[in-house]
Amino acid sequence: MQNKTIRIAVISIFILLGVVLFSYGTFLHSAEIKAQVEGDTVTISKSERALVKDASVGGVVRDESGKIKQTYEKGEKPPETCST
Amino acid sequence: MWIQTAFLVVWLDPLGLRLHTMCSPVFHCYACPLATFACPIGILAQFSALHVVPFIAIGLLVTVGILFGTLICGWVCPFGFLQDLFAKIPTPKFDLPRFTGYFRYVMLIGAVLLIPYFFGEGHPLFICRICPAGAVEAAVPDMVSEAVAGQQINWPNAVKIIILVLFIIAVFFVKRPWCRILCPLGAIFSLFNKFSAFFLRFNPDKCTDCKRCHKLCDYGIQPEKSPNDLQCIRCLECTKCGPDALNLASVFERSPGRAENGEKI
Repeated sequence: MQNKTIRIAVISIFILLGVVLFSYGTFLHSAEIKAQVEGDTVTISKSERALVKDASVGGVVRDESGKIKQTYEKGEKPPETCST
Repeated sequence: MWIQTAFLVVWLDPLGLRLHTMCSPVFHCYACPLATFACPIGILAQFSALHVVPFIAIGLLVTVGILFGTLICGWVCPFGFLQDLFAKIPTPKFDLPRFTGYFRYVMLIGAVLLIPYFFGEGHPLFICRICPAGAVEAAVPDMVSEAVAGQQINWPNAVKIIILVLFIIAVFFVKRPWCRILCPLGAIFSLFNKFSAFFLRFNPDKCTDCKRCHKLCDYGIQPEKSPNDLQCIRCLECTKCGPDALNLASVFERSPGRAENGEKI
């Protein structure tokens, strides 16, 4: 019985941890991205959800300076297929 | 089989939703023309290459993993289902040495985390560049559609083609070769098997030691010794052993003193 209680406690902690991480990523987390706007390079903030979508089609890469760079101009459509 | 087929409705995007801002908990390439969600392994690797922590993917995998463990592999994953369909072709099936299951962790740490982190997504061993799911679900349909449209075919790299050919050969002779040897998502879920909310319960009082569960298990596991083994995909075939000594249980169900009657979890 005690084992079962410990197990339920461990599972509950992991579920809580997972939900907190998921919610943080979905609603709060963002990253600074370098993007081209009409020829100029600007830094924009992109939510993790947008980053997931862009990463899945090769819309963002990490450049030599270590910054994340958008591969298409702001206002343009992102690439439609995965780069690999 | 029916449950796996039913889940295809979720993963294969019949409504054309393309919800690629979210990850699914299954191995299904986001470049597939029919993918509803983003692949969690692809996102882990891409974010590793970007040096950004993928909270959505980690949160989802922790939540689903702690609830179900590898039950996802056996009953929900579309790529596992595809391999199950190939396994129905009556060809001789070979068993694999048990140590090959540990290659999944090498794949997870190497091709999904370290190589993308240190060398970026351009490295030839970046997971998406060698992934057979990407080859079967995305590269092949793309090449077919290009051929049908009379366009120049955009061939994937040589490593991907070799892996695709090896995978196609392997599925005829080994049951679920990708899941057993190389799947990094299965490696993650397997880490939760020992303490997930749903688990395989072994009741020694009901076991007649007939060893039928050994014959029912295609993955070389001895379910009575290790019912929640790291290499188990929870297909639940072993629960058909007859005396009902093995069954799927949940930690939330009321059972009178499981530890007291010697049941193994």
